[in-house]
Amino acid sequence: MKRSIIIAIVALMAATVVQAQNIFHKGILADVEYGARVGYNIGGSAPLNMPASIRKLNKFPLTPNIAFGLNAEKPLTNDFGLMVGLRFENKGMSTDCTVKNYKMEMVKGGEKLGGVFTGKVVTKATEWMFTLPIQATYHYKKVTFKAGPYVSYLTGREFYGWAYDGYLRVDDPTGAKVMLGTSADERGEYDFSSDMRRWHVGVDVGVDWAFSKRFGAYADVTCGFHGIHKSDFKTIEQTLVPIYGTIGVTYAFH
Amino acid sequence: MRFWALFAKLLVSLQLVWKTASVHTIAKLIIIIKKIMQKQYITRLFLGLMVLLLVSSCMKDEPLNAECDLEQVILHTPHADEVFFNRTDSSKTLLYTDHEAVFNVRKNAPLDGIVLKFKITEGATIERLTEGTGFQADVPVSYRVTSQDGQWHRDYKITISPEPTHIISSELKYDFENFELDPILGKYYIWHNEKLDGTFGNDWATGNPGFRLSMPSTSADKYPTAPIDGFDGKALKLTTCDTGPFGVMAKKRLAAGNFFLGEFDVSQALSDAMAATRFGIPFNLEPVKLSGYYQYQPGPKFQDKDGKEVAGRVDEGSIYAVLYRNHDAQGNAVRLQGDNVLTSPLIVAIAKVKSLPPTNEWTPFEVAFVYKSEIDKTLLANMGYNIAVVFSSSVDGATFEGAIGSTLLVDKVRLTCQTEE
Repeated sequence: MKRSIIIAIVALMAATVVQAQNIFHKGILADVEYGARVGYNIGGSAPLNMPASIRKLNKFPLTPNIAFGLNAEKPLTNDFGLMVGLRFENKGMSTDCTVKNYKMEMVKGGEKLGGVFTGKVVTKATEWMFTLPIQATYHYKKVTFKAGPYVSYLTGREFYGWAYDGYLRVDDPTGAKVMLGTSADERGEYDFSSDMRRWHVGVDVGVDWAFSKRFGAYADVTCGFHGIHKSDFKTIEQTLVPIYGTIGVTYAFH
Repeated sequence: MRFWALFAKLLVSLQLVWKTASVHTIAKLIIIIKKIMQKQYITRLFLGLMVLLLVSSCMKDEPLNAECDLEQVILHTPHADEVFFNRTDSSKTLLYTDHEAVFNVRKNAPLDGIVLKFKITEGATIERLTEGTGFQADVPVSYRVTSQDGQWHRDYKITISPEPTHIISSELKYDFENFELDPILGKYYIWHNEKLDGTFGNDWATGNPGFRLSMPSTSADKYPTAPIDGFDGKALKLTTCDTGPFGVMAKKRLAAGNFFLGEFDVSQALSDAMAATRFGIPFNLEPVKLSGYYQYQPGPKFQDKDGKEVAGRVDEGSIYAVLYRNHDAQGNAVRLQGDNVLTSPLIVAIAKVKSLPPTNEWTPFEVAFVYKSEIDKTLLANMGYNIAVVFSSSVDGATFEGAIGSTLLVDKVRLTCQTEE
């Protein structure tokens, strides 16, 4: 599924190159510059204010956070312009944290088991999405500064993980103590995929640097205005805001 | 391109800071940022944002402990030999679900000069709520443990209970009439034994606290162990229950109804289920036979640990009693558990009902204790043996095999012992 979407996008880019000369350079579009970019998202969906219950990040393995994008920029003055893009990207995450007195809840088939957990928690998230950024641009020599909002629509949503190698105090710190082991049948698993948002809105700030006529590099930072879960989702106490930095290469269709 | 080399360094450094948040890595990061700033002032905006992000997500100071458990009580007395049956009796380890500890001591044990030492959650404090400082026989003394962060507390009762001076009847009657909803949670039933002085004890245990973890929404009557109208008065109803999606997750797909003398350590229920059922209580009589009344109906489909049907196998209930030495050769206190309650070399006698044919009528059962070795009368008088009486709706319920719906009803159980000369 994901692979076919990626192939479709690459095909779309190729078609764009061929067609660009004819269709996209007429009338109001006469002076529009088109480009394509491929990048990698580094970051995660994390609380803006790290709670004291999260003690240590043990592992932060990279996930396939590829971003493919197309963009069109309309110059407005000599220095300023407006850039609109469309990209397909993954804001995935995989973490292994040590926690202490971390409020958590497992929900399965209508049954809920919650309390405070001390031990290790693995969190895995996948968020494949189409993103539409609209950014103001400012040119200085070979560098373009960009800033503006974005809207994303998620096509693939996963958020799951497990608590392990520790213990849960059921309901509160005075409740029954339940040891959780390391193997699949001794740990506590959770899955909050269905509580994730479909739409993301946020801000995207970055720089493009054209180091040759056609090729360049870019670096962006995106930050969501809200958490990745629906606002009525309270199981995870902290709102997990998607904050990602992107680095990659750009290609300009002149 | 030197800028990009620096940029790569920056990313590595950022990840290091994220991972460890140590002064050293932060210092390194600052040096790299400075270098980049000198070279490419245009990237300041981008870097500034990255640093902002980083600062906002730095690790906080470790929170203080919120737990407030009394984990162990050690009783110090100048008269150890007159107080304890065994030296190991001076230490009581509490389960995390316990709210009381009872020290069973010798008849007429001197209770002066007793000092209790406590093992509590790190950073927590303990205070005696009951006025005074000493102890009296069978009078509970209250203690409160307050957590390090001051937000939570748990109250405990500690009782020193001398061996009764009454003559113990040679027939112990188990009629299962004294039960209540768990006073803390009110989720499931617990049963009490009636002591000779008319007060209630906590000799009986069930797996209900473990079932609660898997099916917290279940009403108390639908738990694996519940009361029901019986042969006379109330009886025990043990049912093998489906543990739902959490049970599947934990590969513990069913919970047999069980009822036994001993304790259930729910903290082990997920990680080491065999260690959760701790069978037996100290006993000083020589048991002869176990008898009572039962009804049994096996569930329709016997399933293995993976939930797969085992064609042709019919579930069976299980009733047995075990007498065993409660100290090993090295003098360590021993309590049998799920995986050795019928096989331990410390076992002296077993009374196991051979079969419980399905029936919907109250049907008598009776089985004699088979002794493997002689009873040591001195050891017996000094509480050196434990007795476990165990009922289960599925004979292999300990390994999560059985038929959901298997139901064993038990009432009017008698443990007949040899009359003391």
